[in-house]
Amino acid sequence: MTATMKRLARTFSLVGVVVLFAATPVGAVGETIGTCMFEKIENADLAALKGPANKDALLSFEADLEKCFEAPNPILPEWDEVIWGGAAFAILFAFMWWKGFPAVSRAMQARSDRIAADLGAAEQAKNQANAVLADHQEQLGGAKAQAAQIIEEARAQADLVAADITARANEEVAQMRAKAAADLEAARMQAVSDLRGTVADIAVGAAERVIKSNLDADTQRALVDAYIDEVASTNA
Amino acid sequence: MPDQRVGAYAEALLAVASVQEQSSRITDELFRIGEALRNNEGLLTALGNNRLPIANRQGVVEDLLGDKASEVTTALVSMVVATGIGGHLPDILDAMAELAAQQRNRVLAKVRSAIELTEDQKTRLADAIKSSTGTDVEIRVIVDESILGGLVTEIGDDVIDGSVRFRQAQLRETFA
Repeated sequence: MTATMKRLARTFSLVGVVVLFAATPVGAVGETIGTCMFEKIENADLAALKGPANKDALLSFEADLEKCFEAPNPILPEWDEVIWGGAAFAILFAFMWWKGFPAVSRAMQARSDRIAADLGAAEQAKNQANAVLADHQEQLGGAKAQAAQIIEEARAQADLVAADITARANEEVAQMRAKAAADLEAARMQAVSDLRGTVADIAVGAAERVIKSNLDADTQRALVDAYIDEVASTNA
Repeated sequence: MPDQRVGAYAEALLAVASVQEQSSRITDELFRIGEALRNNEGLLTALGNNRLPIANRQGVVEDLLGDKASEVTTALVSMVVATGIGGHLPDILDAMAELAAQQRNRVLAKVRSAIELTEDQKTRLADAIKSSTGTDVEIRVIVDESILGGLVTEIGDDVIDGSVRFRQAQLRETFA
């Protein structure tokens, strides 16, 4: 029996006791003095009370009648009421034991089961939440580590890029210097070549003018003869 | 123009020229006309333009040659122009000169000179070339004043340049 059912049993027992004792004064209150005396007179053998020989019986009867003037006991009920009240209580208690307690027990059991299930679900949810929290914390930790790694890699990459840019810039500067030097040298060579060409043009032009002025018929013939002699002497 | 057709015209011209009294002069004139046309693209185009009337093209030939060439030479060139292949005259006349040399077991030697060569000079030059190369050549002279002086001889793909212009070029390279 569960603690709840024990509490219910104790509650019903207390109610029964209160009903038992509370019912007694109520029953007594309902019996009037006249009724009491009527019942005693009706139940008494009045013939046996007559005469001096029955003086003691008469005194006893009078004392009995005088009891009708006494107030009922506020605590102890009459026995018949105790019996009826006890029987009613027993019946009620038995009925409650037979029908009420199982229903209440089932309801309580269902409620207990539901609460237990809820507690289990809550525990499971709590466990899941803890697991999720742990997972999130782990992921957060991993993310932090990954972020730190990415930052470190980015910093290293930035350092490499900076070094590469610096190297390229230095290389480009060196190439530009070399190209500038080469261009300067080429320009100088071109200037020298142009100057030579100009000098050659001037010299050859002067020579051509001299040659043309001297290329008379005799000179032409001499040139032809010289050519023929040169060809003839080629195989010599 | 196919080489076969050029050769056929060259043979025909040479055959006609060879039966003339002054065959050597005619073939020499034809050769010089061919070289002159080779260096005058505008005139060559006009002579080869078949959209022009034949009479006009022949008139150009007669105006150009006139009294500068023999009648046979003028007639032969005019005939070629009339057939519509005037644009190929240089090749035809060059082939004719080579063919004429071959018929005499010689190789054509084109000689550029600033002045006309005498027969003696031609003979001595042919002898010099033979002694130099071992080949009998037939000298065809092209008067070209642009070489200033001296001679330039072409035998096939070989060139012997003894011109003043070539010497000037060498001098210019030396200075440069």
